[in-house]
Amino acid sequence: MASSTPTATTLFRRLCWDGTVPIEVKIDSKELPAGSDRTLESFYIRAPRVSYLPLLIQEVKTFLFDLVLDEASAKDMKTDDWWFEAEGGALLKWHWPVGLLYDLHLVAHPAPDFQMKPFTIILHLASPPTDKLLFTPSIETCKQSFMGQLKEADFLRWGNTKRVTSLRKEDQDGLWEGIVEHNFDDFWRIASKIAPSPNPLAPPLTPNPSSPTLPAPSSRPASTQPPSGSDRDNAYSVRSVPVRIYLPDGPVIQDLVPPFLEDGLPHSLSLFLSAQLPLLFKPSPTSSLSPVDPNAPKSNLAFALIQGVIAPLDCEMAWLGACMSGADGWVNVCIGLEK
Amino acid sequence: VNVLFKGVGGAPVLNRNKFSIATTVKYQSLLVFLRKQLESKPNDPLFTYINGAFSPAPDDTISNLYKCFSTDGMLIVYYRYVVKCAIFGSHITISSVPAWG
Repeated sequence: MASSTPTATTLFRRLCWDGTVPIEVKIDSKELPAGSDRTLESFYIRAPRVSYLPLLIQEVKTFLFDLVLDEASAKDMKTDDWWFEAEGGALLKWHWPVGLLYDLHLVAHPAPDFQMKPFTIILHLASPPTDKLLFTPSIETCKQSFMGQLKEADFLRWGNTKRVTSLRKEDQDGLWEGIVEHNFDDFWRIASKIAPSPNPLAPPLTPNPSSPTLPAPSSRPASTQPPSGSDRDNAYSVRSVPVRIYLPDGPVIQDLVPPFLEDGLPHSLSLFLSAQLPLLFKPSPTSSLSPVDPNAPKSNLAFALIQGVIAPLDCEMAWLGACMSGADGWVNVCIGLEK
Repeated sequence: VNVLFKGVGGAPVLNRNKFSIATTVKYQSLLVFLRKQLESKPNDPLFTYINGAFSPAPDDTISNLYKCFSTDGMLIVYYRYVVKCAIFGSHITISSVPAWG
């Protein structure tokens, strides 16, 4: 693929894209009509992290629903009234990516040794709590929500949504199709037009540090971009990185995350979290030159889970925005408490 | 926090368009409030855009939206109905608000 995205970036994006989570779907037995096969209790599915629950419905229908219910009941059942709940009772939102739902469940119900246990969700067939759900599970509303998140992320980065809105309609639809079909190449072929790339800002006049005149054409593509090209979509020149913090008990925090702080240092995860959640993430000394207090507690009270991985706190926010975001452009940070 | 509503694309202009809203509410409540102000029925299509650019998820909190998107101390929400055209001849008024594309 003729792209100027550095290999490392593509690697991380690929890893995020290919990430899956194990889900166990059970139908609420109280809602099964008579004549259902009750021996088939659950259906296991490996869902892509970037997918959404409404997209899984068809698979659930084919592999579980149609097998459990007898033909007559299955034909009449419409999926409009379906809704999902986590085994603990938490309502699962349609417009949150599956990976986020899983990670949040993981931090809210920590398992010993951090094993990836299947996330058990219960499928209800009727009486959706519409006041809380806010959406019907149609694929169209899910797509609209996805596009909305993409635009919000675009706006946060650049102060306008031009990058998304100037895509041709086929490309905009193509992004969603990429998610529906789960095709990395199709999705990123379009997404790379709007996603930021994580090249640290090169010094303004020398694109290639070793050659002050013309950049060597065959060296690393990232550094041979003319400064205007790489600055335009550079993750480090965004106004704010689209990040949301999810706490185990519910509140979602969103705030401005500039890629650089006032002192010129890149904004890191540890600085961001200690500013937002100072009780959980102790602020570290502001100057790296000050001696580390040997008596200071070394471990934090909490950790940050991004795409299912405990993120090292010295990650740069701009890099996270370019490489570890979900398909909708958002970096979702789930906070878990250390035991 | 302060919210400013701007009607576009032929939507009715409110007599009073600046309001104070609690930060803890979700965007969904703001939509319900706007509908009441506009006296529109729940089934009437109503589209809103923060800064005229995008529509947030209904369960986003006003606090988060304000922190990220306020301008000069206000959260600016554009609103419009769907424009049903074809009655005005060949010229169709294009809303200045970017639509889905």
